[in-house]
Amino acid sequence: MAKQRTEVADIDRSLYDFRYGEEGFERLDAGLTPDIVREISERKNEPAWMLKHRLKSLEIYNKFPDPTWGPGIEGLDMDHIVTYVKPNTDQQATWDEVPDDIKNTFERLGIPEAERSYLAGVGAQYDSELVYHNMQGTAAQMGIVYSGIEEALQEPKWEAMIREKFMTLIPPTDHKFAALHGAVWSGGSFVYVPKGVKLDFPLQSYFRLNAKGAGQFEHTLIIVEDDADLHFIEGCSAPKYNVANLHAGAVELFVGKRAHLRYSTIENWSKNMYNLNTKRARCEEEGEIEWISGSFGSHVGYLYPMSVLVGRKSRSSFTGITFAGAGQNLDTGCKVVLGAPETSASVETKSISKGGGISTFRSSIVATPAAEGSAASVSCQSLMLDDISRSDTIPAMDIRAKNVDIGHEATIGRIGDDKIFYLMSRGISEEEARTMIVNGFANPVSKELPLEYAVEMNNLIKLEMEGAIG
Amino acid sequence: MDALKIQHVNAMPAPTWGWLKMNDVSIEIPADLERKCRVEIEAASELYEPNVSFEGALAALQERLDAARADAPVDTRAMLIAATGEDHGAEELDVPALSTYERRAVLSEHADDVARDFETGVGIDMRAYLNFLAGGTPVLATEAGGEAEATIRVTAQAGEASGASLDIVAAPDSTLELALSLDSAAEEPAFIGSTLRIFAGARSRVNLTVYLTASDAVTVVEDSGFVLDEDARVTVRHVVLGGAFTATGLAADLRGDRSRIDIDTSYLASGTEQRDFNYIIRHRGKRTLSNMDANGVLTGTSKKCLRGTIDLIHGAKGAQGNERETVLLASKGVDNKTVPTILCDEDDVAGNHGATIGHVRPEQLFYAACRGLSQEETEALFLSAKLEEAALNAPDDAIRSNVIRLGNALIPQFAEEFDFDDEGDLEEEIA
Amino acid sequence: MSQTPLLSVSNLTASVDEKTILHGIDLNVAAGETHVLMGPNGAGKSTMGHVIMGDPVYTVNEGTITFDGQDITELSTDKRSRAGLFLSFQAPVEIPGVPLSSFLRAQIAGRPGLEMKGKEFRRRVKELAAELDMDIAYLNRELGVGFSGGEKKKVEMLQLLLLQPKLAILDETDSGLDVDALGVVSRGMDAYRKATDGSLVIITHNTRILEHLKVDRVHVMVNGRIVREDDASLIPWIDANGFDSFEREAAQAAGGAEAAAQASDETR
Repeated sequence: MAKQRTEVADIDRSLYDFRYGEEGFERLDAGLTPDIVREISERKNEPAWMLKHRLKSLEIYNKFPDPTWGPGIEGLDMDHIVTYVKPNTDQQATWDEVPDDIKNTFERLGIPEAERSYLAGVGAQYDSELVYHNMQGTAAQMGIVYSGIEEALQEPKWEAMIREKFMTLIPPTDHKFAALHGAVWSGGSFVYVPKGVKLDFPLQSYFRLNAKGAGQFEHTLIIVEDDADLHFIEGCSAPKYNVANLHAGAVELFVGKRAHLRYSTIENWSKNMYNLNTKRARCEEEGEIEWISGSFGSHVGYLYPMSVLVGRKSRSSFTGITFAGAGQNLDTGCKVVLGAPETSASVETKSISKGGGISTFRSSIVATPAAEGSAASVSCQSLMLDDISRSDTIPAMDIRAKNVDIGHEATIGRIGDDKIFYLMSRGISEEEARTMIVNGFANPVSKELPLEYAVEMNNLIKLEMEGAIG
Repeated sequence: MDALKIQHVNAMPAPTWGWLKMNDVSIEIPADLERKCRVEIEAASELYEPNVSFEGALAALQERLDAARADAPVDTRAMLIAATGEDHGAEELDVPALSTYERRAVLSEHADDVARDFETGVGIDMRAYLNFLAGGTPVLATEAGGEAEATIRVTAQAGEASGASLDIVAAPDSTLELALSLDSAAEEPAFIGSTLRIFAGARSRVNLTVYLTASDAVTVVEDSGFVLDEDARVTVRHVVLGGAFTATGLAADLRGDRSRIDIDTSYLASGTEQRDFNYIIRHRGKRTLSNMDANGVLTGTSKKCLRGTIDLIHGAKGAQGNERETVLLASKGVDNKTVPTILCDEDDVAGNHGATIGHVRPEQLFYAACRGLSQEETEALFLSAKLEEAALNAPDDAIRSNVIRLGNALIPQFAEEFDFDDEGDLEEEIA
Repeated sequence: MSQTPLLSVSNLTASVDEKTILHGIDLNVAAGETHVLMGPNGAGKSTMGHVIMGDPVYTVNEGTITFDGQDITELSTDKRSRAGLFLSFQAPVEIPGVPLSSFLRAQIAGRPGLEMKGKEFRRRVKELAAELDMDIAYLNRELGVGFSGGEKKKVEMLQLLLLQPKLAILDETDSGLDVDALGVVSRGMDAYRKATDGSLVIITHNTRILEHLKVDRVHVMVNGRIVREDDASLIPWIDANGFDSFEREAAQAAGGAEAAAQASDETR
């Protein structure tokens, strides 16, 4: 008799799947024209250079072909993505002032509670605009700036700094969606950690895309000066609609000498989301960037945080997990440029495919001739939970430096029947056994997350694994 | 006449970012080369079999596959719906948005057409040029249960372009030893190339040894495509030692259950030479097995790109693909590119890959220094060791002397230093 | 003995990662003599061999090393080897991709009196392999890769016999643990003594390896210092009493209360 395959039911995403109406919200007409870009800029009362930047980016965007190597994006009809949706509120500094439906959204996501319990500061973006921003007094006293990037642009001191750095790590010429971002970006955070300041508690931004058929294009700019230390957490979610939503944010991180930045993300967009996000960090001498990245949601995902190590002995580590279920094609991974002597990078990723989902691990490790004495290790493991899914691994390495050590290991396989049998022989149900093994598989990532997020991630895995087994 | 530029050579099946410039390579065929077929085939006359064709062998295999497939259940996977229908965007949330490559893969798998799936490593444009150079494609075929050997030598003189094209059909239960030498001592631009289509019948064994020993003025393209029937076993040894630019392309379709391919690649690049490799292993049969093992040394300002793809296709239950690469970067200024890809559309499989890119380690340098070797001498040791190994394991004396000629050009007194032991007559020949 | 020593180490202080391991070592070995360097684990004996050979891991902070009338303190390791110094390793370093025979040939290349042409070289190596009871198949294997303990030792002894150095330092710290390896080393030392009038410095903490060997001097090392020098009669004494008394004396001599306390802790 053929072995019965156990069916694993689809995720119950209802936790994230509530939505509110848009009464009273302003919407711009669909489609993307220079006029729309001008209008966005005007409303934001931006400096002239920013408008120029937007228009230039739009020009570049219009010339870019779609990427040919990744998941199909034909389903993304840009003319119907409303590029700008402004909620009916200005930014608030206490949750009480945030309108009820928006506040309820974030309450349900547990953000205010997390803020009360362990975060040093929180920013919440609802569709295109920040609706809430607050930071603890102690952090402010240390000289840390955590504000909306648009708000920061209004202050001459920060405007100069933003102008110097804005979209220099991710230029609009980088790829099609970087150009789009450059044209229509809206909202996002600006963080400045002065020299030598070490913040013990994380700062957090939460992005919620509520409007149907819309796009979210927030820009996050973080500057961690020499010898400073910061942990930044980013969370994303959206309710499910039956038309494509687009997220094309950009994250630019500047890590100073001997500074340390940990950037954690749990992305749980709904399955109508095209997540084409770009994240990049630049590290000076002995600076360190740590990426923790969990990708669960989205219909299509293109996500490859990049570390550019330009300072001697700078370091990058990337720990990521991707879980692709039914209908999802998640193309994730990372990029590293070893661009100075004695730099080092480590990459550890896990990917899980289930229910017809597709996950692709894609990476590049480039060692320039300047990278003498550098080292990089890449390890990626892929788990196939059934035979209707797909999992690809496409790691590229371009090494041009002498005295480097580059190691790469990749494995693809399924949960061994022997493991399931062993656990079941000790009285554990098959579903429990599978969940246990998958959780164990994900452990290297979850153990790097703050407890609350590790719990959230384990719950997501549990939801994915739950179902009628046996 | 301008140089002929052939694009998209050695393209990897699932491409990655274009800016890495690793997806494929363009080959320039030097201008004004005279087409001149300098190809020698040494094989017993019984091997020339006019009634056997490569296409015929594929058609016979297809018939058996179709018969077996008649009972297969209807495939209802979401990926198939995605590949055959329109892109539904987010409207059909359980249908994933496929990449160009994924769509092609699903469609190929669904059609299950051996002839249409057939490919060689370098790709159709380059292969067309090789076919043009060769002028015709003889067929070598073994008899069922038979044993045979054949040696193919391709060479060219300065200013010439020479190419070979062969079809090889190994009958069930037969054994075939093939040696292929691509060699030219030309000191002016020249081109040599070969393209082989090889069908390994049920339970057959095909061993192919390829030596590339051209001088650093010569462009070399070596191409092959394999189809393996049930329990067939293919062993390939690629020894790539010389040539200004060399492209090695190999594609294998492990169509028959339990078929197996083992590929061992040993390469060396010095000066400004460039090496390009493309391996595509498609696991389609159940419990198929592949092993790719590449080992290379780069010196001078040489460049290398190796693309290795293990494709574990839906239905290849119990298949296993392994890939390992070790590269030694022996000097400043080399450029080493590696893309080891595993594509997987099946859960009951295992794919493994490992790469080690490194240099001579401090403890190795110290140990060698304790025995009197400077850093330069230790690094040169890796290069000469590669050449010596190639010479020792050469399939015949003619190929061995090609290696020694190349060795002498790279290392002073290579031939004198090298000891042939039982090959006394050869030593005299060189002297 | 009034002759100029072949190897003269004087006031040698060496460190690694800013930690001093050798403190003001003096050691003289005359041509043709056999010396033994003994001491407990971690005394710095192996370091001593490596520093004499010029391992770049260690920094020489003070002192000089003179060999065969030449100050070699600043000389690179390969040049020390070509000057006639030899250091055996516990095991050869693995060098994948390089067959043993290629490695051996590269060693003798350019050495006056040792350089041989292909056939002659092959014959010579086969002879030596026979002398060490070593399977010649190893000559074509990659250096050190997948060799057993005994085979690794044979590879080291083979190089000793091939190079015929003026002075060989044999680091046999671990050999006492492996009976096979012990036999190989004894055979290698015998053959070396028979073939040349070279000097030997044997680093060990196990006296079994010294049986049947005529030893001229014994040096005892503790905590990076030579604490005792004597003739061969010291060997049976150490056999019977171990290194405890040396360690205690060293601790007291150092005068450091901490060190003394530590030593007495260990012996209590």
